[in-house]
Amino acid sequence: MFICGYHFPASEGNDVAFDKVIEKVEEGVDASGKTVTLMSETREGVVLESIEVPAGTFAHTAFVDYFENTEIPTKEDTKMVYYTNKYQISEISKTVDGDATKDLCKKLDDMNLYRVKVA
Amino acid sequence: MLLKKIKKLLFDFIFPNIGLYRQIYKFFYKFFILGNTICNIKSETKFIQGDDMAELRQIAFYGKGGIGKSTTSQNTLAAMCHYYGQKILIVGCDPKADSTRLILHEKAQSTIMQLASEAGTVEDLELEDVCKPGADEFHPDNEEITEGYIMCTESGGPEPGVGCAGRGVITAINFLEEEGAYDDELDFVSYDVLGDVVCGGFAMPIREGKAQEIYIVMSGEMMAMYAANNISKGILKYANTGGVRLAGLVCNARMTDKEYDLAKNLATQIGTQMIHFVPRSNHVQRAELRRMTVVEFSPSSEQAMEYKELARKIIANDLKVIPNPLEMDDLENLLMEFGLDEEVEEDAIGKKAEEA
Repeated sequence: MFICGYHFPASEGNDVAFDKVIEKVEEGVDASGKTVTLMSETREGVVLESIEVPAGTFAHTAFVDYFENTEIPTKEDTKMVYYTNKYQISEISKTVDGDATKDLCKKLDDMNLYRVKVA
Repeated sequence: MLLKKIKKLLFDFIFPNIGLYRQIYKFFYKFFILGNTICNIKSETKFIQGDDMAELRQIAFYGKGGIGKSTTSQNTLAAMCHYYGQKILIVGCDPKADSTRLILHEKAQSTIMQLASEAGTVEDLELEDVCKPGADEFHPDNEEITEGYIMCTESGGPEPGVGCAGRGVITAINFLEEEGAYDDELDFVSYDVLGDVVCGGFAMPIREGKAQEIYIVMSGEMMAMYAANNISKGILKYANTGGVRLAGLVCNARMTDKEYDLAKNLATQIGTQMIHFVPRSNHVQRAELRRMTVVEFSPSSEQAMEYKELARKIIANDLKVIPNPLEMDDLENLLMEFGLDEEVEEDAIGKKAEEA
């Protein structure tokens, strides 16, 4: 199955442990010292707000990994975030990051489109 | 396959393709092919077990009527072709014959049943009559954008209210197999199948082991989830006798509250994955009005990227399971848990909003 864009073989079943996902996400990326900003917009393209993702959290690492490793054309230094990925990142972050990303995850669970920028 | 093509060319040269000669040619051609097939059963069997045929994946998109199966399947298959160079045959199994219109840029393709009725019988048809190459970048001769291509065919069915639509599906698939449409060059055969599997005819691609991996298109609405669960029951029924497996749910989102949670949890409970959440986008409708897929209409749009990601996942997918469908009560509990903010009390059932 596919979580955060990574393929987990069928032998691991349909309910892969978050630990394995976190391990895979952290494997190929160095997120330290990077600033992650998310921009939300409606389906009609109206920009709503910019949110900074707290450093040191899984959500921070996952968005850096997404930005650096996902094959999506960059638009004004940002990349759109697949809906599936934002929901999956939110789901894991709620469990492992606790209060640090509580408000962020609530926003990620909405129906808006998010763009990510890493600097 | 090559031998078959050489024989056909030879006959085309000897017999002109008109009138009585055409009938004589067809008689001898079919006789020759039948004889050859019987003689080669042993070698064909060996071929099927070989690497070439093992590479052909037969997938199917099922789902409730109106959920967006045809739109989702065509956009996804277009992405598989456009971005990943896949060679695909689409077999539309819906009597309304809309499974290929976006690939062909046409209103509706003439169906096998329609053409057979005009010609007399299905035996009077040639593969070229019913199997059309996709338009522009999906055409086999156009390699500007992709080396992949998409061939299109529609089974069709009887007039509304008359006869069995499933028979069209059965006739079409048998005809395509006999005429060699399942070319060894293909990477995927994709069936787009109407509704749920209450009608046995529409279950034919599952029942006969034609479709090996099933993708159910659903959303976070009750009836879509009910249909998805019902289709899982159909897969379960034939999974042990054939090789059919459930490969995942595709959430064609209606953008309702907690839709991801609902779809994901339904998938987990029936033993599969929610392979991708496809958001709603006006781009889909804009492209449809031009009889195009989003991938062609706006290849760098966000929606095209979503279909690209779904295409990547389907190509790489190896999670194919025998499903574990839910009981109706469990399905309702799932909706209560994830789909609604508040549980509905027993005494509120049947009451208007202002009364409850």
